[in-house]
Formats: sequence, C-alpha cells, structure tokens
Amino acid sequence: MGTSTVIQDKNTLKKKRKSETWKKLRKNKYLYLMIAPGLIYFLIYKYLPMYGLIISFQDYKPYQGIMGSEWVGFEHFQRLFTSPEFWMIFKNTLVLFALQLLIYFPVPIILSLMLNEVRHSLFKRGIQTIVYIPHFMSWVVIVSISYVMLTLDGGIINEILDSIGLSKINFLLNEDWFRPMYILQVIWREAGWGTIIFLAAITAVDPQLYEAARMDGAGRFRQMWHITLPAIRNVIIILLILKIGDVLELGFEHVYLLLNSSNRNVAEIFDTYVYVAGLQQGQFSYSTAVGFFKGGVGLVLVVFANWLAKKFNEEGIY
Amino acid sequence: MAKKRKRISTGSAVFDVVNYSLLLLFALITFIPFVHVVGSSFATSAEVANTKFLLFPTEFTLTAYKYIFSTDTIFRALFVSVLVTVGGTLWSMLFSTLTAYGLSRRDLVGRRVINFLIVFTLLFNGGMIPTFLVVQQTGLLNSLWALIIPVTINAFNMIILRSFFMNIPTSLEESAKIDGANDFSILFRIVLPISLPALATISLFYAVTYWNTYMHAILYLADADKWPVQVLLRQIVILASGVNYDGAAFDDVPPPEVTVKMATIVVATLPILLVYPFLQKYFAKGALLGSVKG
Amino acid sequence: MSNMKRFLALIIMILFAIVLTACGDSSEESGGGDNTSNNDTEENANSDEESDESDEAYSFTIMANLHTPEVPDEKVLNKIEEATNTDVEIQWVPDNNYEDRLNTAFATSSLPQAVFMKNQTTFLQFREAIEDEQFWELDDYLDEFENLKKLKENVQDNTRVNGKLYTLYQGRPLSRQGIIYRKDWADNLGLAAPTTTDEFMEMARAFTEDDPDGNGKDDTFGVTDRSDLVYGAFKTVASWFGTPNEWGEKDGQLLPEFMFDEYKQTMDFFKEMHENGYINQDFPVTSKTDQQEFFKNGSAGIYVGSMGDVISLYNDAVAINPEVEFDVHNQVKGPHGEFGIWAIPGFGNLVMFPKSSVETEDDLRKILAFFDKMMTPEVANTAYWGIEGEHYEVVDGFAKVLDSEVSEREVKPYQAIEIGEAETSGRYEGYFEYEPKAKSEELFKDNENYLIENPTVPLYSETFVQDGARLQQIITDATYNYIIGQLDEAGFEAAVENWQSQGGDKIIEEFNASE
Repeated sequence: MGTSTVIQDKNTLKKKRKSETWKKLRKNKYLYLMIAPGLIYFLIYKYLPMYGLIISFQDYKPYQGIMGSEWVGFEHFQRLFTSPEFWMIFKNTLVLFALQLLIYFPVPIILSLMLNEVRHSLFKRGIQTIVYIPHFMSWVVIVSISYVMLTLDGGIINEILDSIGLSKINFLLNEDWFRPMYILQVIWREAGWGTIIFLAAITAVDPQLYEAARMDGAGRFRQMWHITLPAIRNVIIILLILKIGDVLELGFEHVYLLLNSSNRNVAEIFDTYVYVAGLQQGQFSYSTAVGFFKGGVGLVLVVFANWLAKKFNEEGIY
Repeated sequence: MAKKRKRISTGSAVFDVVNYSLLLLFALITFIPFVHVVGSSFATSAEVANTKFLLFPTEFTLTAYKYIFSTDTIFRALFVSVLVTVGGTLWSMLFSTLTAYGLSRRDLVGRRVINFLIVFTLLFNGGMIPTFLVVQQTGLLNSLWALIIPVTINAFNMIILRSFFMNIPTSLEESAKIDGANDFSILFRIVLPISLPALATISLFYAVTYWNTYMHAILYLADADKWPVQVLLRQIVILASGVNYDGAAFDDVPPPEVTVKMATIVVATLPILLVYPFLQKYFAKGALLGSVKG
Repeated sequence: MSNMKRFLALIIMILFAIVLTACGDSSEESGGGDNTSNNDTEENANSDEESDESDEAYSFTIMANLHTPEVPDEKVLNKIEEATNTDVEIQWVPDNNYEDRLNTAFATSSLPQAVFMKNQTTFLQFREAIEDEQFWELDDYLDEFENLKKLKENVQDNTRVNGKLYTLYQGRPLSRQGIIYRKDWADNLGLAAPTTTDEFMEMARAFTEDDPDGNGKDDTFGVTDRSDLVYGAFKTVASWFGTPNEWGEKDGQLLPEFMFDEYKQTMDFFKEMHENGYINQDFPVTSKTDQQEFFKNGSAGIYVGSMGDVISLYNDAVAINPEVEFDVHNQVKGPHGEFGIWAIPGFGNLVMFPKSSVETEDDLRKILAFFDKMMTPEVANTAYWGIEGEHYEVVDGFAKVLDSEVSEREVKPYQAIEIGEAETSGRYEGYFEYEPKAKSEELFKDNENYLIENPTVPLYSETFVQDGARLQQIITDATYNYIIGQLDEAGFEAAVENWQSQGGDKIIEEFNASE
C-alpha cells in the first residue's frame, strides 16, 4: 500500500507546476519546522566537520593545520591501492562482509519469528531478556572468554575432545578457524539484540490475520511465511540496505583482538591495517584517506541497493 | 473437518516442542558466559586463578564488590551515566521523532534529497579532530552536553523510526486534518500514541548508545569527575586483561584482580540490562492495534 | 490519551531538570576544558584558603596517563601543591586512549602546560613537531634549577632531538628482566637456578616431564609466556644468546636484531620448547593475565619477564597453595659463555612543555620550578610513596608500604608525574619483607653490569617512525610462525627480505647515516 502511494506521489509531483510546489511548501510549513532542528544538527555536527576529509589529499601535520599542510593529491590513495596487502585486505573484508550478510543477518529475523510463536509470555520474555545480555559485554571480555574455552593449554573444549579420545584442535593459531570463530562470536553477541527491532515490527500485525489463516487451515510455518514475514519486510529491507552501506565496518575492536600472527592472512581488514599502519604512527592523512575510500565503497553499494529496492517497489532508505 | 484440525494441532505441537527447545538451547549458550562473569565476581581471586572456566564459586565472597564500592568513584560514574542516558535519550527522542515524522510524510517537497544527505552522514565523517573543533567551538567541552548534543540524532535510528511512521495508514492522518488539526497535534495526538513499540525500540537503542558512551567522554571531558561508568569499566577491563601492555612504562603496577574486573562488569551492565524487561510490555502482540482502537 | 499527556509532562519535566543541572555545569566550566580553569568548587575553596596564607600559588595543568583503574582522590596532590606552592590540575587520560587524546589536543592547540608523552614511541611521533619548535627547548634553563640539574646526562641524551633537550624524563631501572621460578619444584627435582641456556632448557623439560609437584599427574609445563616478544620471555632469552637489542653492529654496519644468527638461535630454542610442550602451546595469543595465571595456579614453573612481578604473583599464588615457594634469578649465559641483558633507554615517560600553552619564559620557569621541587626528597617521596605514617613508614632508610591496596588507589597514580629516579631525587627506595622481591631489586642493579643497549635510541630514521610499526609486524608474525612450526627457515628469510624491500632497507640506510 505504501509503495503505490509513492508512485502516485511521484507522478503527480511531475505534473505539478512551480506555483503548486510553493503551495505545498506553505501547506507543510509545520513539517519543515519539525525537521529544522534535526537538519541544523546534521549540518553543524556532521557536515561541518567533513572539511576534515580534505586532509586525505594532504600531508597533514597537526601543528601546521589544514591551511598550512602540504597538498599531495592522490598520493595516499595511490599508496593504499599499490600496497602489497591491498587485495588481501580487500578480499578479507569482502569475505567477512559476506559472512555477516549471509549467515549473521538472517539469524535475528529467524529468532524473532521463533519468539513470536511462543505463547507463554513469561517464557518469551525470559528468553528475550537472556539473549539480549551478550550485547552488553565488550569484545575484550568475549574474546578472552573464547580464549579460555578454546586454548590448547587446558581450554575446556580441547579437554573434552581429549577426554573422548579425539585429537585437540588448534582453534586459535590456525587461520582456518578465524572466520567461523568471528561469525559465531558476532551471532552470539548480536543476534539476541538484533531481534528487538523485528519484534517491534511484528507488533503491528493484526492478530485477526492469524485467526483467519488458521480458519483456512494454514499451519504455523505458513502463517509465519505469509503473515508475519511480509509484515516486517519493510524493516528487513531497510536494515539490509543500511547493513550493505556498512560493508567495511566489521567491528575493528573485535577483529583486532582476534588477529594474530597465524591468521593475519585472513583476518587483516582495513580498520586493523589502518590502525597499525596509520594511527599508531599518527598518520592522520593516510587513515583519513582509507576512511574516505571505505565511505566511497559504502556509498556506491547503498545507492545500488536502494535503487534495486525501488525497482522492486520497496520503500528504500531515501 | 475434524480430522484436519487434529492434524494441524499435532503439527503445531511438534512445532512448539522444536521451537521451545531451540530457543532454550540458544538462551543457554548465550547465558553461560554471563554466568561465568557473575560467578567469578563473587569468587575469591584464588579460585578464579585456579579454575579454568568458573561458573559457580564454591566459596562465596563479596570482596570484589567491597573493593569497587569502597570509594565513591563508581557511584559518581554511575550517576553520570544515568543522567546522560536518561537525559540523552529524551533529548534524542524528541529531535529524532520530529525529524523522522517530518520526513515520513510523502508530500514533503525535497524529502528525498534530505534523506539522502542524512544517509550520507552514515558513510562519511570528518574524523576526530574536526569534530573536536566543532564541539569546542560550540562551547560544549567539559560539559556533559558534549556527550549528548554531538550525537543528537543517530541517522540509523532516525531512518528506522521514519519507516515505522511511514507504515501508519495515511487515512488516520487525513481524517484528523479534516478536523482541522495541524501537523504537531497530529504527531503528538495520533501518530505517537500508536507508535509505542517503535518509540520503545528506538529509545532503547539510544539509551544503550548513551550508556556505552566512552570515547567522547575521554576526548571531551577533561575533568575525570564527569566520566561515565564505561570509562572506568574499560580501564579496568583493559588493565586486567593485560592487552596493549607497555612494560617499560609501569612495570610494578599489578593489574586489577580478575574478580574486580568481573564485579565492575556486573555493576556497570546491570542498570542498562534492567531497562529492557520494563519496555517489553510495548512489544506485546497486537499492542499497536489495541491502542488504535482505544 | 491521558497516558500520553502524562508521559509528555514527564518528559518536559525531566528535560527541564537536565537543562538546569547541565547548564549549571557548563557555565561553571565556561571557557574551561582546554586547560586550567576547570576546578570543582571544593577545590576552588581550597585554593582560596591557600592564597590567603601564601600569596599566588602558581596554577597550571598537567596531562598524564592513568594506569590504575580509578582516578585518585586529591589527598596526595594537595600535599604536593602545598609543598610546591602551586595549584596543579591533573588531566588524567586512560592509558589505553592516551594517543587519541594527545593527538586531538595537540592538533587543536588545546594541550595543557605540561604534557607527558606516555612512552618513547609516542615521543618519536612528535619529533617533527619538536623540530618545528612547538615545544620549549630546555637546555638553557635546567642549570638554573639545582635539582633538575642532577638528571642523568646519558638518559637525557637518549631524548635529545638534533642535539637539543626538550624533555624531563621519568627514570626507570635500565633492566628488570630475569626469571621467576618455582623454588619448591626445583628443590623437589634437585635443580639449581639455571646459569646457562642449556640448564634453562633442562629445567623447562624437568618441570614438564618429571612431575615437579609430585602429584603423580602430567599436569605441569615449564615456561609460561604471552603474546609479547619484548616484555614476554623472547627478548630476554635472546639477550642470553647475545642477540643485540633491536639493532646491532655487524661488519661496521647497523642492522636489525633479526638479521643476526643469535636471533635465529633464540627462535630455534623456543621452537624446541614449543615442540616438546615445555612452553604453553598458545603463547602467541596468551594475555598477560592468563600467562600469570598459569604460574600462580601451579601449571607452569618458569616466568621470564620483570623480576619485580614476583610479589604480586606470590600474593595470589600463596592463596591457592600455601606451600608455594618462588625465587628470582638473572644471570643465564648463552652458548657463547657470556651473560647479557637488554636495557631500556632509562626512561619510562617524558614530559614536554608546549609553546601554545606556556606562553612566556616566566611561565616556563615557574613550571620548571615545580618539577624542580618534585625532585626534592620530600616532594618526591610524597608523589611516589604518599604520606608518611598514612601510606608508608620508613624502615632502615627504605619506604615500607603500609597497605598496598590503599596505596595502589591513592598514591600509585601519582607516580605518573614523577621526574628523575630515586638516585637523582633522593627519595626512598622500597622496603620489602618478601625476600625474593628484595632480591629482585638487587638483581636490577646487578643487571646494570651486563647491559645490551639499543644503539639507535639517539638516532633518527624517518622511515622507521612512519613505517616501523607496520614493518615490525612482518617480523613479529614470522618469528611466532617459525617458533610454532608454521614457517620454515626459508620462509623466515623471505619475511626478512619482505621487511627490507617494503622500507627496511631505507631504515637501515637512514640509521647508519644518522650515526
């Protein structure tokens, strides 16, 4: 229903002449008043500092300031693209992103659908509260707990493997285990938290719809598929687009803590690379250039995803 | 007919069993590390050092809690956190709601451009130093407002809220308009009361962000008395975990006890954990429709 | 609807309350934040009183790193202020985020008057700014101050930039490295403290295989180590083998340590320990806390690192097992028959004075006068040990901490603003009842006779400052991978070549040129 209005709206907009636009502006003066404080906020605290991006084209020295620093054009970008690790990092980033999208992203949706089917309210609330706890534990804590469980030096998992006669597994110093560990930790920490938004969306479903479906003999799965899921489709698509824009944000702290000498080939991502190559040595320009590049990639993907969504008559994010 | 109904209900029962067991299993997995944290916080440090993965201490002690509560630092930090979280959430919700509602209205000229410009801020930022300068220029340094005003609207939250508002049937608004209501009264009298689940969700998101605020406190607040509890928590966790340890600088400072670390995690996390159960009533099935009717 | 109204009313009330409290906050602090003027009211009252007694206490701000969990109360600081006739504000910054704050404050010209650099690495990053005269040069002033004059020349030389001095240093023992081991285990097995690397290996073996705790179970191993090639075991063992300290001279040229055979011997030594299970298998990812836990709970019997750690290790270990007995030891000779131990440059931290906030020579002199008084025995004792009778007592000319928990809270943080060391300031050295701890203090001094210094400390290489950390990563990775058997010798050579081609050659060239 929402989508058809948009199309109508677009078509009528095109037809309208300037004077009518003016009229519309006047008619909606309260709406503009409403968004004004928000826009001023974005202008001052988000757009104003963006002049800082120009240091990615400079050899920025803090004491010389942006005005006084030397211009170097695309040197930092060139350095990034030609560095021997660039493609390795790019690939690692994409793989982790794919894992996030394909494995992590559906989990909160499935969880919230499952929770929605729970009829005992106490059980439901209890589970909800418990699964949301890990979100509040910092990565430092989670990674150190993982170490305690997985280490070869008396970690409980390896002790169990050992006691049932299996050989111990080198989870920590083996690059094959990095990706599973990463995504499992992400699911463990964020999946419960991620359900909140979908559960909120599900509240909008009219219970009578389920009633009617039951009358028609629809099973629980079919109710989920035909009633609940379509009701939260909007939210899913919006979160998906936002997630795609976040393609290069994979959680610096998390990856940095998991990174070690044996898994660097698969675990080094842009953020960790910049941290060592740039920030540790105060190279503001270089890390800004990498941030710029990340933003650019994100922008392209968001524009594409949004275009695709609109193609399928979905709302999109802008 | 009767046969059919029966088949459905057995299927339904199987579904329930599987569903409940899976959820229980997942909850158990997510709960165990938390039990470890809480359990360790009540254990003696000897037992923690001697047990690989402690869940329930054999010897129960409050030493760690006594230690962290023996100065007023943590009380002060918690007070700051509560103040910033409550104040910040209200502040952010006010402006996010106004902006999101304004932008949710399909007849607003220029909304696509504005929406795009807001999405843009999710992807690019000017970096720490220019942002610091703006915070400095707007006179916020060393005030708790520095933790709130520079993050007034989270674009992500605003977009979600906007999409919730867009799902509200336009007929509701239109009928109000015919009655002569202006946009403000439509928002406050009609839209907000039926958007409680969305408002609760986004409030929770903001509250958690404010509760976790950390880097801004270190950058913008020179006065350590104003640090929220996360600064204290991070400091203890990082020191106790021995990451980024610089041996030359401070060799003779023993790291904080693991038990103290765990107790601090519990104390710094519990208040925000308690928020969710209170908001849960807004997530009840059909809550939204009920309020429309009422 | 009425619900909604009540809700709105509540929102407005709370908002109002917050605006009030926070505005009160910000007006009180107006103009503050940058540096000096942000005292809380209590302190204002305090300084008022002071100014009645002795006029104009000089007021300024110091930025220092906080390496304890909590910001200390101001008891000790007040005492220091009293003794130095100053009104000092300390801006504490959590150690882990110090660089962020330092860089931001520097780039926005909001550094306070006295700025600690945290460590040598951070100091090196400021080199260009120092060359650009952003900080006061101190050579001309130090002679005016009788205590600052006493700071050690050789340590100061390690901090000079183009021959000029810009910093006051905070002294550290040159080398605290050595072994802490289970004396009771060694006695059970009839072993003495290892004097050679072979004996060290034998001890590691025996602690792993010969059931040192006599419980009949195969549940112990030799060395416990962590993911740190410098302050963990590796570098100390490398010193025993005669490896240079980061850089050494070979055929008249300065080369990095990993191009020396001794470095490879050390790697082989670790590889042997790792293969045989004499060292924790996951040491490349083990944190300091976990490393120490193996030692405290009787899993491992040898800890290589700072010998000063023996007391905190013992305090926890004895709670688990009252029978436990530790000892410390430093001298281990390598295959070449000599003992050597790597040294730090003699300072842990450095303080500098930005010209942007210290505007006149007069101000500089007043701040230096403060640090000069900090180096008198009286003030230095207050900053380091706290208040006599409350935090420590004097026993035979040594300071004995009364309650370590209280001291760690109220005094330890202020050690971050100490200048010089006991030797130059004349403050007390520590008194320790626990014998191995007292012995470790003696062994620090013994180490000073066998130091291996890093010859590049006074030298400069731009590539090293810009790219050194990233390049070092290549070597660190290769070293670990070699030790755990994921990389062979050819692979390690390839990593070294990679280091060279990505900028290492330039570093070699630059260091040799600046000699």
